[in-house]
Amino acid sequence: MKTQKIYTISVFSENRIGLLNKLTALFSRRRLNIESITISETERKGISRHTITILSDQEVVENLVKQIRKIIEVFVVYGYENKDLVISETALFKVSTQNLELGSSLHEVLHKIESKIMMLEEQYVIVEKTGTEVEIMDAYAELKPFGIIEFVRSGRVALEKNMKSITAYLPEFELNTIN
Amino acid sequence: MKITETLNTTKNKAAQGAGSEQAITGAEAIMRCLVEEGTETIFGYPGGAIMPVYDALYDYMDRINHILVRHEQGAAHAAQGYARVSGKAGVCLVTSGPGATNLVTGIADALMDSTPMICIVGQVKDTLLGTDAFQEADVMNITSPITKWNFQITRADEIPEVMAKAYYIATSGRPGPVFIDVTKNAQQDKMTKPFVYKKCKQLANYHPRLVPKPDQVSEAAKLINAAKKPYLFVGHGVLIAKAEEELMTFAEKSGIPVASTLLGLSAFPVDHPLYVGMLGMHGNYGSNVLINEADLIIALGMRFDDRVTGELSKFAINAKIVHIDIDPAEINKIVKADAPVVGDAKEAVKALLPLVDKKEHTAWLNQFKELNKLEYEKVIKAEILPHADGAITMGEVINLLSEKTKGTATIIADVGQHQMISARYYNFAQTDGWVTSGGMGTMGFALPAAFGVKVAKPKREAIAVIGDGCFQMTIQELGTIAQSKLPVKIIILNNNYLGMVRQWQELFFNNRYSFVELQNPDFVAISKGFGIFGEKVATREELEGALERMLESDVPYLLDVTVLKQHNVFPMIASGSGVSEMRLE
Repeated sequence: MKTQKIYTISVFSENRIGLLNKLTALFSRRRLNIESITISETERKGISRHTITILSDQEVVENLVKQIRKIIEVFVVYGYENKDLVISETALFKVSTQNLELGSSLHEVLHKIESKIMMLEEQYVIVEKTGTEVEIMDAYAELKPFGIIEFVRSGRVALEKNMKSITAYLPEFELNTIN
Repeated sequence: MKITETLNTTKNKAAQGAGSEQAITGAEAIMRCLVEEGTETIFGYPGGAIMPVYDALYDYMDRINHILVRHEQGAAHAAQGYARVSGKAGVCLVTSGPGATNLVTGIADALMDSTPMICIVGQVKDTLLGTDAFQEADVMNITSPITKWNFQITRADEIPEVMAKAYYIATSGRPGPVFIDVTKNAQQDKMTKPFVYKKCKQLANYHPRLVPKPDQVSEAAKLINAAKKPYLFVGHGVLIAKAEEELMTFAEKSGIPVASTLLGLSAFPVDHPLYVGMLGMHGNYGSNVLINEADLIIALGMRFDDRVTGELSKFAINAKIVHIDIDPAEINKIVKADAPVVGDAKEAVKALLPLVDKKEHTAWLNQFKELNKLEYEKVIKAEILPHADGAITMGEVINLLSEKTKGTATIIADVGQHQMISARYYNFAQTDGWVTSGGMGTMGFALPAAFGVKVAKPKREAIAVIGDGCFQMTIQELGTIAQSKLPVKIIILNNNYLGMVRQWQELFFNNRYSFVELQNPDFVAISKGFGIFGEKVATREELEGALERMLESDVPYLLDVTVLKQHNVFPMIASGSGVSEMRLE
């Protein structure tokens, strides 16, 4: 077995019905499990950015990226290792405020994990934590003693560490936006 | 009287104006698109959700020839046959639900074998989508992984642009099937704007590279000029790019031995001194064994299918690889390329030609000839010139057919032993002489593909070579052939077995013949029932005369040839073996 690690695949595509299925079918056909996926429209109307993470090896990722490029609605695709990227995720924690013994220290913990309070109720608080997967799981461990009622994590978002911009990725599209 | 006439004239003018200026229905727009793209023949089958288009077709019968198949799979394979020899997109027209799902095998086959095809498919009206309506199937998701592109049209106005895109995508770059799902309302509704057709020439996000990068070409040329034992593999890409002439010039200048993949057959004449044989599991002996002696392999428009490489770790062990392909995703997919060249085969060879040295590789070439002589002695002789009192062999039939047609027919072979034998023993002298289902290995492909070929090339002799198993998978298309009066010739190589599976059961499953023997109907009687003349050939004495009568016929003609019942195709690279472990017996 080749050494596996997390790769991030960034796909820019048309924002269109069915495109996600075409994309994920290329992963499932190769028995690749998608660890996380984040999709949203970019600053350019009609273009979506998909950030997909998989656990795999270099060769598989290289071939996969080339196969994704063959989807007609896809503009560009890049495969990255973690070191190429600035990575972030967002998590929301619904934490109980009922644990009186620890009640006083909750504030300190929230400060320590650099989270933001989104909602404050008598019985619970919803806090937001943004950071890497590791930072979020550290926050989870810190908050666990208070009683986590509910927890949700977004998929990864990531940007490449260089001066390239999305418009640099999509020069051809610029020319054709008229139609 | 006079007044009435004037009135009529005005009316007629108004009617004409409506045709060209004013709104037409989506269904008619589809017809107009076909005409604009120069599609003369389509293959189809009507049904509920495509009826508006069939109604529009009624007015276009003078411009569009529609061939009514007997099963939608037949339409798909016919369109493939048409596309494979014409280079134009083959078009199918079918209804929703089962009509669409019956195309699936053909679509998958077309994707595997890079065949331009456009499937225009009816769908329930948009308001019914997702409600389990009658004959509704989620064909967009079904066909996503097996098409180059698919699109669902829900408004009549979308039709011209989407159709133009469909033709462009299907036929450009690495060709492939495109699936267009048209909801019934989009067919029935009038367009809200005048029909204007603009052929698609480029797309924002799809840029097939035709002309290769010069640095890739010069890197490849460097390796070619340095090689002592270079070896050229010719694939389907050469036929698709129509690069046969360039290939010939290149081969003759460089003096490099040429072998062909199954789908590359007929791109290079078999009797050329540089031709050393077919690659792959049942290819020629020298052409396979010497892959491991070559110090350079130039793969031109082929994709290193596992049936070509055999066990990958034992493939091309001493060779550097120049891989020329239009699809960048093929580079390094199976075999790592030392010098990848992404581009169209024709453009790539043209670019390489001035850079390669004029050379001869006589000693190297002779190595192939020696091994092929051995193959002749051990295998071929007995196959094409069998013992006079034994049964007819498949190779004997194909060899005789090859002689009678001087290698100039187009052979459309199905899948199995008869396919390998046809590939091995027909001496292809002309390009587009071979159509078969390579990547998918779809049984039942040949009969419908054969009339597709005949439509595209009416002057070519189109001969379907079919096994008795395959024949029964799409036998109903005899009806299409009869009704369309397409003079297709059909040879059934009949051993009452699923021969290739039986061969494997004999060689690798200890003679345990599990469900491979067939109780066949009387094919000649069936053929006659369809109105197609047929002859049974049971003895050697009857063979030559029957072949001659078949070839002389200007109407469809079927020969049911009884061949040796238990016979194996050799040489063979067994599953898991390397190319140099090819068995002669």
